[in-house]
Amino acid sequence: MKTLKPVLFWIAVVLVVFLFIFPILWIFVTAFKLRADILSVSMGKLLFFTPSLESFEHVFTYTTIVRELANSAIISVSATVLVMLFALPAAYSFARWNTGGGHLLFVTLSTRMFPGFLAAMAYFFVYKDIALMDTHLGLMLFFYYFNISFATFLLYGFFREIAPELEQAAMIDGYSRFDVLRKVVIPLILPGVAITAVFVLVFNWNEFLFSVLFTKINARTVAVGLAMFWGSIEIQWGPMCAAASMAVLPTLAAAWFMQRYIVRGLTFGAVKG
Amino acid sequence: MVTNVAEAEAGIPKNKGFWDVLLSEKYFRWTLLIPLLVTLAVFMLYPMFFAIYYSFHTFAPGKPTFFVGLENFRYVLHDTRVFWPALFAMFKILVGCLTVELVLGMSVALLLNREFKGQNVVRGLCLLPLLISPLVVSLVWNYLLQYDYGLVNQVLNGMIHLPKINWWGKNMAIISIILLTSWQWTPFAIFVLLAGLRSLPRDAFEAATVDGSTSWYTFRRLTLPMLSPLILIIIMLRTMWLMRIFDPLYATTRGGAGTETLDWVIFRVVFMYFDLGQGSALSIISLFITIILSFIVFRLLMKSLGVIK
Repeated sequence: MKTLKPVLFWIAVVLVVFLFIFPILWIFVTAFKLRADILSVSMGKLLFFTPSLESFEHVFTYTTIVRELANSAIISVSATVLVMLFALPAAYSFARWNTGGGHLLFVTLSTRMFPGFLAAMAYFFVYKDIALMDTHLGLMLFFYYFNISFATFLLYGFFREIAPELEQAAMIDGYSRFDVLRKVVIPLILPGVAITAVFVLVFNWNEFLFSVLFTKINARTVAVGLAMFWGSIEIQWGPMCAAASMAVLPTLAAAWFMQRYIVRGLTFGAVKG
Repeated sequence: MVTNVAEAEAGIPKNKGFWDVLLSEKYFRWTLLIPLLVTLAVFMLYPMFFAIYYSFHTFAPGKPTFFVGLENFRYVLHDTRVFWPALFAMFKILVGCLTVELVLGMSVALLLNREFKGQNVVRGLCLLPLLISPLVVSLVWNYLLQYDYGLVNQVLNGMIHLPKINWWGKNMAIISIILLTSWQWTPFAIFVLLAGLRSLPRDAFEAATVDGSTSWYTFRRLTLPMLSPLILIIIMLRTMWLMRIFDPLYATTRGGAGTETLDWVIFRVVFMYFDLGQGSALSIISLFITIILSFIVFRLLMKSLGVIK
């Protein structure tokens, strides 16, 4: 019995890990398969196949993947900077003074429950009129709107962990409110700021709804590019997986960075440890 | 005179400029919120008024817009062929995903809630689905669940000799969507609950062990109540996000096979038919349902946190 328990535990752990990473691994496996092997119905071809770079060649020859990746990077990063710049002061205000008595925080959070189409619909024709359609700036503004509520809510949890006494002490030392925020509070929650920024960055990188509605060629992001492998005749699984394997690399890097902070980050300050 | 007194009390020196007012003790909290408030006005208030206005009008590009009163709402609510099935599909996805995610999430969180070798690596790997783009996830699952050459059916049929399942068929497609969405979001539940489990006070559990409680009893009477704020947070956030589900539909059924949700109807009506009137009415209904649902959960959350009675 004593030796059986750890064995069962490890079997369960391996099963869970397998369940969660297998489909992701399959993207990479499929990316290196020939078209015939991808559509093959024989079991043998699932795992034992001759690796090929055919799909990657197709992607680099017939699509604008490099430009799409660059577009995604430019838009995601600039939107993340904007979100952090504006979410930090707002979250601090909510955490320190409970500004608006909780109602305003709820309204802020509720931007995430607005149908994305509500904003998209209202701005579709505006964007056409002022020539923001299919531009980096236009999409960036939507990314910013899409993330500010979540970033504010996450940062709110981090700010709540800072004792007000600390700030009062700094103010007695002659710091202004603004200096307190900049020189005392933000350095203290820097890990929280970092994890929020990475979260926002990942959400931006993965965003699809606004991207597909508001970009065509010039500012097309990689997510929209991926969806285009679904042609009118068939879905090109191989090239799609090849492109996807490149598109998920930055998020895998983000995961590597995040795993240290994640357990702390997701409590939202709701459970005091 | 009155304003001067008020300003003096607020700590604003006389004859000071605009910046001093913004940075004064009384108004600083609002100054910090200005960018957020502007954002809300631009991206929330304006689209909302836009939608309210057009929900009372007919609209087609190039044709005059005219007032029709509640006609759009009447049409939508009487639409038993599109609206009600879409609403029903949305609730199916909501309930299905929340159930799978919470049950599976809690089980895995309990499993991982101990010290073991390589725990950080295991947790890191379990986090991955959450970070991969929902569109990519859905496209991959679309491939894995194909009838002829999909891996899942090949394993089912070739290795365990079970009949193949038509995953994207009429009644099955919505279950496939629930499965792939839960696959992606269970890690979210796992990590919120795991963080909660780690921060629970030890002594209560030691006392329970000394008293000889069974582990199921301890879980139900001790762990579950203490984690209830986190469970409510998961339900609240996931409800909001699940009502907006879009990428999994776009990458798999495109609204076919009985998987058309309310938001997909809006997408179709607005961006394929450019019928802003009906689209606006639908978005307002969709928004209304989401607000009611999340407000109920929000109240429960505030109660369990002790913020309101």
